[in-house]
Amino acid sequence: MKRLLGAVLSTALIGTPGAFAAEKTLTIGYSDALTGGGAVYGVPQKKAIDLAIEEINGAGGIKVGADNYKIKTIEYDDKADSTEATNVARKLIDRDDVKFILGYCCSASGGAMASFIGREDVIVLVGTAGARSITSLGNKNVFRTRPPGDYTGAAAGKFIAQQGVKTLGILAVRDVALFTQYRDSLVKAFEEAGGKVVAIETFGGQDRDMTAQLTKLRGLNPDALFVSGYVEQVAFSHRQASELGIKTQRYGFSGGSAEQFTKVATAEQMNGAWDLLAIEFNADVLGPKAVAFVDRYKKKYNENPTPNTAYAYDQVYVLRDALQAAQTTTDMKKIQETIRALPIPKEALLKYLPVNGRMFDDKGQAYIANGAFQWKNGNWAFVKELPSDAAAYSNFLKTIKD
Amino acid sequence: MWTRFAIVAVIAAAIVFPLFVTVNYFIHLAILAMIFMIVAQGANVIQGYTGYVSIAQGAFMGIGAYASALLSMRAGFPVWLSMLAAPIFTAVAAAIAGYPALRIKGHYFAIMTLAMNMVVFTVLVNWVSLTQGEPGLPSIPSPEAINLGFTEIAFEKRRAYYYLALAALVLVMWIVAAVVRSRVGRVLLAIRQNEPFAEAAGIACWKYKLFAFIFSASLAGFGGAIYAHYMGFINPTPFSADASLNAILAVILGGSGTLTGPLVGGALTVILPEALRVAEIYRLIAYGLLLILVVIFLPRGLVPAVVDGVRSISRRRKTP
Repeated sequence: MKRLLGAVLSTALIGTPGAFAAEKTLTIGYSDALTGGGAVYGVPQKKAIDLAIEEINGAGGIKVGADNYKIKTIEYDDKADSTEATNVARKLIDRDDVKFILGYCCSASGGAMASFIGREDVIVLVGTAGARSITSLGNKNVFRTRPPGDYTGAAAGKFIAQQGVKTLGILAVRDVALFTQYRDSLVKAFEEAGGKVVAIETFGGQDRDMTAQLTKLRGLNPDALFVSGYVEQVAFSHRQASELGIKTQRYGFSGGSAEQFTKVATAEQMNGAWDLLAIEFNADVLGPKAVAFVDRYKKKYNENPTPNTAYAYDQVYVLRDALQAAQTTTDMKKIQETIRALPIPKEALLKYLPVNGRMFDDKGQAYIANGAFQWKNGNWAFVKELPSDAAAYSNFLKTIKD
Repeated sequence: MWTRFAIVAVIAAAIVFPLFVTVNYFIHLAILAMIFMIVAQGANVIQGYTGYVSIAQGAFMGIGAYASALLSMRAGFPVWLSMLAAPIFTAVAAAIAGYPALRIKGHYFAIMTLAMNMVVFTVLVNWVSLTQGEPGLPSIPSPEAINLGFTEIAFEKRRAYYYLALAALVLVMWIVAAVVRSRVGRVLLAIRQNEPFAEAAGIACWKYKLFAFIFSASLAGFGGAIYAHYMGFINPTPFSADASLNAILAVILGGSGTLTGPLVGGALTVILPEALRVAEIYRLIAYGLLLILVVIFLPRGLVPAVVDGVRSISRRRKTP
């Protein structure tokens, strides 16, 4: 009788899916700027990744075959520096033996990683870093959610021309790939639309005083100014432009939150300024799923998410969906192919523009719509979507390798 | 006798090192350390042997790195040839910069070389059509594989590149040792000890100083070329004044004016920040504190301190 009971129980348990699912740990690597100038993007990105992992682990983890994986991270600070980022990637791959790496908020670190990672048997899911080469190099194992800078720059150049601006003065950071590629693309599109750039003035990564450049631009009397760079520098530029009495329309590109801007400039000094960027995280534009994300983020960190947080958050769900669809955590080729064919995860916060029905194009690049935001009543207000031709850009990306 | 034995033992240990290392990450660090030892040895020539502190090693490393990368990528030169041409390009740049710079001395010379580093850095960032600016040059090729008939040595692999860097370091050490032991080396030491006295003895010091500056820069350029083809990606960031200060630090830490000092110092400046990574955000504070302690308690550097210690022990043993 006991034997019969045992046999019945065993059969019942075997027949129950997941009844013997083994609890395992999937260790993923994380490389990002946690200190230094890039930390303004890297730290929020890390917080978003941690939040997504907490959600996935809380919901039972990642189910692969009979196993149930809970995610754990090993994280290192790459300081947005190319050598540091290479050291970190080597350490994660060679010593910590990870197969998946997330992070990369900045171009220098992301670009350095992309230059050699194609030879490694790992998958890298890049968040905010905007240098084009990260995906244009065509590594089969690199996937990025943020579109390159020039994808948005072209749309911004057309938009500024459509606003009736004939002459434009530019003040831009000199040496950050995302911004220089955006700027070059903006100038080309603006001039093709009949506009004229009267001067391009630049500032370095550590500069905080742009009054000399602004004074020169004021003397040239352009119809509008365009300012691009990291949040703090753009905020200083808007503040100093206001202090110099520059009344012309100010456009810009930085992707900072209202809180980040008002740490440097007053709401009055920001009034009327535009931010022309890919529609990053913005709860007002992205709807209830994004509002819920803000609540969870604020509850965990007691602060608002910055616009770039969603890039990395979405990547964690890309990884979960890919592993569950591929039903393996070790066959990297199969996982790569799965990601390449993956639809947009249902938890994804950003509004992706699929290329051929897939989230990532052939070069592992995802696209979102571009948008125009204007500062009104102490905050960035969404004004309109800018024309964004993901398919055309994807075709262009196929033709380049730098 | 003992010195030769020690040199052979160290080279033999370096040759077998990859065979005992199971984690490739340590080979990566060893490659970077050897590259930095070459750059630091260059700094040692001008700083340690000639007594002129140059804060431009980072810039010369950058010139070598970009020269070699661009020659191989744009001009179609074989990588091996590009790597050998890089020190020549750097030497030309150093000759142009060094001729006026060496008319001044002491702190003024140091400040002038710092300005040079900043100018080169700004050029690397802004001459976008050539250097691609801050986005950097991706996909820099590795040296062409060497076919030995029975096997092919592919330098995309870290172990192969490790031996390439080791061979380059041994070559550099041999050349530097030959120079410092030659008449030129003795003149450089004389300039360091008392330049007016050397002038009074009929030595045209400016020629020797210019030689030391150019030679020092060429070594940095050679290190830069090896770095570029190893990393496969360069942008201006690693060639800022920080790299020059690290080279000075490596010389001071290891032992200024000694052949082996820059080896120890170069290794420590690469490995210490990585070893302290466990402390994450506190690691740079810990690194800084360690350096301050070394400079206070071992002002001549680690190598002279260790040598003094060994000598004092052996003297005590000999004393009945």
